[in-house]
Amino acid sequence: MSRPSDHSLFLLGTSHQVANLQERETIALPNDSIDSFYKGLVALPGLKECLVLNTCNRTEIYGSADPAFKFESALEFMANFRKLDLEFLTQKTYQRTGAEVVRHLFEVASGIDSQMVGETEILGQLKKAYDEAYERGATGKELNRLFQKSFQAAKWARTHTGISKGQVNLGNVLCELARRIFGQVDQCRFLVVGAGEVAESALEAFKSRGSEAITVTGRTFDWCPLSRRKPDELAQKFDGFTLAYSKFHESLHLFDVVLASTASSKALLTKEQVERSMKKRPAKPLFLIDASVPRNVEENAARVDNVYLYNMDDVSAIANENLQSRLAEVEKCRLALSKRALRLWEQMRAQPNLPA
Amino acid sequence: MNLSEVRDLLWLAITCYGASFVMGMVKTRHAFPTFFRESPLILILAGFVLQTRALYFRGMEVHGCPLGNGMERAQFIIWSLIAAFLLLRLVWRINLLGTFCAGTSLLLGTLSLGLKNWDTPYWTASGYVRLFKDPWIELHASIAIFSYGLFCLLAVVSLMYLSQRQALLSRKPGFLGPYLPPIQDLDVAAMRLLAVGVSFLTLSMVVGAMHWTRHPELVSGAKLSVTTALWIGYLILLAMRLNNRLYGSRFAKWSIGLFALALLSLSMVSSKTNKQASYSPNLPLLVQVLR
Repeated sequence: MSRPSDHSLFLLGTSHQVANLQERETIALPNDSIDSFYKGLVALPGLKECLVLNTCNRTEIYGSADPAFKFESALEFMANFRKLDLEFLTQKTYQRTGAEVVRHLFEVASGIDSQMVGETEILGQLKKAYDEAYERGATGKELNRLFQKSFQAAKWARTHTGISKGQVNLGNVLCELARRIFGQVDQCRFLVVGAGEVAESALEAFKSRGSEAITVTGRTFDWCPLSRRKPDELAQKFDGFTLAYSKFHESLHLFDVVLASTASSKALLTKEQVERSMKKRPAKPLFLIDASVPRNVEENAARVDNVYLYNMDDVSAIANENLQSRLAEVEKCRLALSKRALRLWEQMRAQPNLPA
Repeated sequence: MNLSEVRDLLWLAITCYGASFVMGMVKTRHAFPTFFRESPLILILAGFVLQTRALYFRGMEVHGCPLGNGMERAQFIIWSLIAAFLLLRLVWRINLLGTFCAGTSLLLGTLSLGLKNWDTPYWTASGYVRLFKDPWIELHASIAIFSYGLFCLLAVVSLMYLSQRQALLSRKPGFLGPYLPPIQDLDVAAMRLLAVGVSFLTLSMVVGAMHWTRHPELVSGAKLSVTTALWIGYLILLAMRLNNRLYGSRFAKWSIGLFALALLSLSMVSSKTNKQASYSPNLPLLVQVLR
């Protein structure tokens, strides 16, 4: 029975920590080349197990190898595969072995190594990468155990520390605010006026939470000056409906969340118009988001009872405050994960054949 | 600390509610180990058991539902509040409601136990008439006080509504805002609590009226007016809410205001009855207090 040495477990990777966007783009693996990349990787002499994590912010190879395995062979293989200069790749990647790999993986899985600290998307991507490697038969006892434990560590970190508390993405902040007003976001009727980037980010966030009643309207269906995208294209992209702009004001009471994101130089919604629509839905709150500069919703519309008006400064301030509170938790989380990683590594060395 | 002594038990119960309130608040910001995660609820349950035991002992002493002085009424309202919360929790979970209920119980409980003159031993007065004399009055009293518990819960929910509204209007994450329940859920909860509370109060009024028609001489005009006014007040509130005439923050403020009036009206009734209990051996105390 062989015990994993410090060098049996290795990691070769790049991320936003060491490479800028352009550099990451050159290193990242195109989706259609993952198969051939795996085939070449498993053929490397001495490599027993491997897993490739390929996301927009990181490309990483996790592996378990015999003592005879030469780390440089993985680097050379990657440089050849992506037709990159070996020196460039060496500079723009990091290498880890043994307990450091475990610690790094725990940090990645829990989101503290992400560009947006505490984001949860990475855990899903990690699980997908693990499933793909498992189906290919590329993982074995060691990586199976390591990844299963990393998923547990991620869950622990999110439950026991504040790294995921509060939303930091603008679309998610809007969803969180809608949740605080209406409860279930998927039940909200969402109207977007215009088709700017914020509107798209909000639509993505609402859609990902199961929102079905999405409607888009715009002053002109021919051309939206903010995104150069027609509102009906946006509606189509998110399986939503379109509403003629002429019907916008008279239909306002039918919607729970209204996001205005147009380049109009004058207010599209006045206090009087909001008051009129609220008379038709007095006890139901209305969440207004003004994502435009100059503003599209009169500021004093916020004085109408049951109306909650936010502009982009308000939403950005919340996102920043949440981010600061997450950052304050990172060190605490890192320390706890480091202890867990060390414990796992010692167990792996003591009981290498224990199933995951 | 004597676990057969009413006041000791009540202090212990209030301490449990206080500890639950503190732990509930801390839990919103800091992760608890799994073992302690349900500790706020467990502390509320412990407080409820201790309070029930204390009220049972006091009931045995006074031979009836212990509602004879300010401390007993306050404790009974707290007991009803916690009972309503625990019942509601079985069908409907509202974030932080337990913590807010525990906080209210801590406040009202400390006040009622801290003010010594609220706990006059009326049952030791010469000529005190034992209260099991008329079961209708007992029923009327307990239903009325339970409805007060529901109105207290309504006030707590309204307070949570106003806190969430304020947090949303301030446009900052705030201390509690992200952890409080959605504003629409609180609105629905408040309306349902009001409807159930009004139903119980109406039932209590019907039972009380049955006794009143037989013994009108036992009911003072002032007490009858206060109770009827309060009942009508809650009925109007319910009607206006159902017709969407009163909603949102104004409804929440009225709910809190009306409950404050209910508490004040109780103390008004209390001062009179104590006096009467001491000097009128033929008038049962609860008859005067609760009608």
